[in-house]
Amino acid sequence: MTETWRLIDMRIEDAPTQMSIDEAIALARPKGETPNTVRLYRWNPSAVSIGYFQSVEKEVNLEACEEKGVDVIRRITGGGAVYHDYNGEITYSLVAPEKDPRIPRDILASYELICGAIVRGLEELGVDCEFKPVNDIVAGDKKISGNAQTRRHGVVLQHGTVLVDSDIRTMFQVLRVSDAKISDKLIQAVEERVTNVRRYLGREVPFEEARDALVKGFEETFDVVLEPGELTEREEGLVRELHEKYSSREWVFQR
Amino acid sequence: MKRAEYKVPGGKLLVADTEVKEGVLTTVKVMGDFFMHPEEAINDLEDALSGKDASQIDEIVEEFFGGKEITLFGVSAKDFAHVLKLTLDS
Repeated sequence: MTETWRLIDMRIEDAPTQMSIDEAIALARPKGETPNTVRLYRWNPSAVSIGYFQSVEKEVNLEACEEKGVDVIRRITGGGAVYHDYNGEITYSLVAPEKDPRIPRDILASYELICGAIVRGLEELGVDCEFKPVNDIVAGDKKISGNAQTRRHGVVLQHGTVLVDSDIRTMFQVLRVSDAKISDKLIQAVEERVTNVRRYLGREVPFEEARDALVKGFEETFDVVLEPGELTEREEGLVRELHEKYSSREWVFQR
Repeated sequence: MKRAEYKVPGGKLLVADTEVKEGVLTTVKVMGDFFMHPEEAINDLEDALSGKDASQIDEIVEEFFGGKEITLFGVSAKDFAHVLKLTLDS
């Protein structure tokens, strides 16, 4: 019989809440009170998330964020800085035990498998793309999804960004690409290394359509049924506790 | 405080800040878009280097990664030593 996983479907929250929910699900999972979980979500207000090891000042144009009302947050996962555009981006997360037979022990292999679900979803939309180790998905030679994984408490948490219709110009205004003064020409070159689903397909792609394709990608890749559900009371409690950490200056500016 | 950056060929970016007083590392911070499991090991690495002679960077970094179960992606132990030593010349 096909196994059922929980789907927390397209919850719209601010940056500290989104990062708290991902960690809360990972913390609750080992207790066995919750099933494997996939989330699809959007960030309101739009936000920049930086990798666990990144320097906030180096990676983020804080003035531009302030001016545009863009939040800044540090993730518990490594990797690079991401612009989560409320109007153009879907983030996913997946939580499963490390010992789940579907999840490869090898971290790189597990990236490939989980990213494979996103590749399948994007292909469903008509985007010809592939996994590019360690943690990217590219369409042609342009990045369309970035992904990051952590393993703690015996659990795999992977989250990542799917660029549906992200404003790529704003992306490079809030992210610092280089310390050096960037000429317009250079910005153009950087922008050409990133794409999104709308740009690739040359048509509008409603969030619902992208959401349906990603759900299908996960279901086919893991041979499971995603059933929409809610966080448990315990998870919601953890979210409230973790929110303080994620919204603190101490956490965001630790590097 | 001195900063150095090193983009690993085909890999990730490493950024290091160090402060050295009389040959001793008083501040050590390593940053970047790499992956390290477990993540908190970065603090242990910085602690292992702080208070040590700057000339010992290679040995300390090698010993640190040799003795623990740490998985790195996009960078290697040698790259950490490299970027840290770059701060000494900058």
